[in-house]
Amino acid sequence: MNTNFQLGTCNAVQHLNRRSLMKGLLTTAGGLAVANWGALTHSQTIAAEAKRTGKRCIMLYMEGGVSQIDTFDMKPGRPTAGEFRPVQTKVPGIQVCEFLPNIARHADRLGIIRSMRTKTPDHGPGGYYMHTGYHPSERFPHPEAGAMIAKYCENPESDLPSFVKIGSGSGIYGAGYLGPQYEPLVVADDGKLPGFANPSVSPEIQGRRGELLSFMEQRFAESRSGDPFAAHRSAELRAIRLMRARQTFDVSAEWEKAKDRYGDSKFGRGCFTALKLVEAGVSFVEVSHGGHDTHMDNFPISKALYSIMDPAWGSLLEDLTQRGLLQDTLVVWTSEFGRTPAINNRGGRDHFGRAWTVVLAGGGIKGGQYYGSSDRDGFEVAENPVGEADYMATIYKIMGVDHRAKHFLGARPIWATPEDSKPIMELIR
Amino acid sequence: MINSAGEQNVPVDRIAIGLFVAAMCLGPTLVCAQDGSLRNSIDREVRAAWEKEKLTPPPRSTDAVFLRRVNLDLVGMIPSYEEATTFLNDSDPQKREKLIDKLLADPRHARQQAQVWDLAMLGRKNKLVDGTVGYRNRGRFRVWLAKQFVANEPLDRIAAKILQAEEEGSQLFFAAHRDPDEMVNAVSRFFLATQIQCAKCHDHPYESWTQKDYHGLSGFFVRTMAVDVPGKPEITNQTGNLYLVGEKMVGEALFSLEEIDAKTKKKKTVPIKPKFLSGEELAEPEPPQDYVEPKLKAGELPPKPAFSRREKFIEWMIAKDNPFFAKAVANRVWAQFMGRGFVHPVDDFNSSNDPSLPELLKAIETELVAHKFDVKWLVREIVNSETYQASDLGAVADALPRFYERARIRPLTIEELTSSLHIAMGLGVEAALKTEPNQQMMQYLGEPTDGQGRFQGSLSEHLYLHNGEGFRAMCRPNKGNLPEKLVLGAEDWNEKVERMFLSVLSRPATSEERERFVQYLSVDAKDPKQTAQRMEDALWVLVSGSEFRFNR
Repeated sequence: MNTNFQLGTCNAVQHLNRRSLMKGLLTTAGGLAVANWGALTHSQTIAAEAKRTGKRCIMLYMEGGVSQIDTFDMKPGRPTAGEFRPVQTKVPGIQVCEFLPNIARHADRLGIIRSMRTKTPDHGPGGYYMHTGYHPSERFPHPEAGAMIAKYCENPESDLPSFVKIGSGSGIYGAGYLGPQYEPLVVADDGKLPGFANPSVSPEIQGRRGELLSFMEQRFAESRSGDPFAAHRSAELRAIRLMRARQTFDVSAEWEKAKDRYGDSKFGRGCFTALKLVEAGVSFVEVSHGGHDTHMDNFPISKALYSIMDPAWGSLLEDLTQRGLLQDTLVVWTSEFGRTPAINNRGGRDHFGRAWTVVLAGGGIKGGQYYGSSDRDGFEVAENPVGEADYMATIYKIMGVDHRAKHFLGARPIWATPEDSKPIMELIR
Repeated sequence: MINSAGEQNVPVDRIAIGLFVAAMCLGPTLVCAQDGSLRNSIDREVRAAWEKEKLTPPPRSTDAVFLRRVNLDLVGMIPSYEEATTFLNDSDPQKREKLIDKLLADPRHARQQAQVWDLAMLGRKNKLVDGTVGYRNRGRFRVWLAKQFVANEPLDRIAAKILQAEEEGSQLFFAAHRDPDEMVNAVSRFFLATQIQCAKCHDHPYESWTQKDYHGLSGFFVRTMAVDVPGKPEITNQTGNLYLVGEKMVGEALFSLEEIDAKTKKKKTVPIKPKFLSGEELAEPEPPQDYVEPKLKAGELPPKPAFSRREKFIEWMIAKDNPFFAKAVANRVWAQFMGRGFVHPVDDFNSSNDPSLPELLKAIETELVAHKFDVKWLVREIVNSETYQASDLGAVADALPRFYERARIRPLTIEELTSSLHIAMGLGVEAALKTEPNQQMMQYLGEPTDGQGRFQGSLSEHLYLHNGEGFRAMCRPNKGNLPEKLVLGAEDWNEKVERMFLSVLSRPATSEERERFVQYLSVDAKDPKQTAQRMEDALWVLVSGSEFRFNR
């Protein structure tokens, strides 16, 4: 891991790499669709610069705040228990809600953190915290986990973008100080690409136009080594590569067969698309599922939500296992916070950050265990509290990203996760 | 005066004037304000830095590069075909200086300055008021700013008026930063180039700022309030409101001490007297005994107070001996044209952020004060310098070379892109001024930086360039635009390509380019549909490439 990547100051090696990269761009004659811009795709320097772990991450984000007490931290017999009943899984001691039969089958793969103690019960800052590990900053935006993982885990030779958000319901926090190179490509809730990813002209016109553009860019670049020009050209190339690889997002043929297992829903299709994307080498995919903000009628609404969430999540783990991808793919199930143990007078549960649950699977975590616990009625953490920063550090650690990687904003250092953050080593193999 | 053609003579002139200026500067009265002297000081100091740093001096920019650069910088759009050919064919050795004067007198210059200030003060995606700053509302602020620049109001006066927030349209900066903390941060960053926000919660870890300094500054703004009142729709925000800014008679900035109050068992909270950044406390009359603020209805402002803390802050800020303001604006104006400030970023003067050329910063600051904050004078001096007019070629990859050893590279703003696209397609200045950037341009090309001002192209930007209608539609032959004229015109292909390059890139095509484009355009010359398609392609290529995307 390159722990000393300095964003604010470029060292000589980076300049050298950029320069040789430019050179590669200029001198390689092309037989590729985009003339000699293809040289960039196979640039030795880029490949050498990347420190890849080969790991990927899928984040299932339950937008609005999913209830911990009705899912993985049930309190049978207590006044806060609510209507749902727990069911014993094949792992002794692990119980999950009766309405989560699909994910229950994977209990031996799950690392269930029941002791999240987070700083805010507001959607806005909560979403920021749970995506970045940091408090929202006036002075600069922090990158969300997807951008950080894209930066350190991306495969530079892939035509696909390294960070994809399926649905934007959980918010777009973006690449922050890591820069637009790591901004997410945001696609629809069901994983379909926006219209403008489709070429607006025929491949023939696109190809000949691309050659003319390439001709102009090369002449221009010959005497101008400016970084912004190089950034402009490499973004152009990424766009062309995405257009070329856009079929990966088109899962319609296989979806016909998969939809019975995933559930014929947007979220189901989103999860299936995420599977196809990580299989194709995308480093980070977030799939959001909205509507978990159940201030009223928590039980009927949650039951309906779980009937969409559970088959998609369960089948995703199933397919990742089947394809041998699970060991390198971390699947995170999370929210901006949990929901109150107390049930309000509208039959709802409200925002709650004092003791709630997130669930990890795959990527090299030790499954079949709980980490931490809440007290008898679920109002406070009883043991091993986990804050947002520790949660983020755990994700980074699993992904092989140094959670204390240091970046620079001008002269000011900034770390991937805040000071004192610690990954939960008990969860990691 | 620098004679732009008589370059051989320049060094001699420069040395002579330089010595004269240096001699004058040594005198106790410090008169450096001779017209034409600052541009020479700039070149002398920068040249000395190149020597000291062992940097190869850059060549002078070509006429075409200079023409495009100065048009974008001074009037916010590229030159038209006619303007380009007139300038490039002009053999007058003074033509650069003449062009600068012409552009500075153009009303578009004030508009461009207003846009630069507006964006620097309020950002592009600031949450601002009512969740958004509606374009209309923002437009009012820009119009007000442009009025100031048209009248060449001195910079200290413009700054004062923004903080007074009394003139129609001037209130947005205050309306946007209503919270006293936001006000402290915004004012100190923009006008004082000092970042004190860390000291809100703890004494600054690296600088001398204490929490008392921070809350002391807050004392000047804690009484300020902004209200929304109904206004005419054409000049209001999206909820139909106008902003008015006033000041209460009483109210204090409160600060929680570490000491615990024996009674409440909480941290002691005490009022903090207003305190200037220079460390002095404000001397103010005792507030009227038993004064009770009148109860205000919604949208009502209190009567103007007899003693205005905000006025006192403004007086301090723009006073001749203020150690922050003149330095901050001198550095900011320099950075606007040179890409980076002597201190960079421009709003962060601090003990670990040394200026690249401290003497030159001092000289510009001193002369700007001597010229009574005449911003047009300062801009004229900067863009007439050889330093500004340096070539864009060279080995330096950094977009903003620290010692200005090559011209800076900056992406065009979306306003500049929109206007320039209109000019490039021969639609004229009026159309260029009338058209606002569309929502997609805002979204995909609006802020192409890494959060520290450095350009990074985004995937979405290029998807938009390829597949969005915005650029493509402009390049398609249509209603008297350039592509249509070229398709229908009787000239030969060589002439058409020449016109195309001059219109879009403000330079003639090279012979290699001419050949390639002629070949591209004329391959299906008998098929009108194909010709139109190829014309669109060729123009699309010219506006999609780096050469159009950047000002360099």
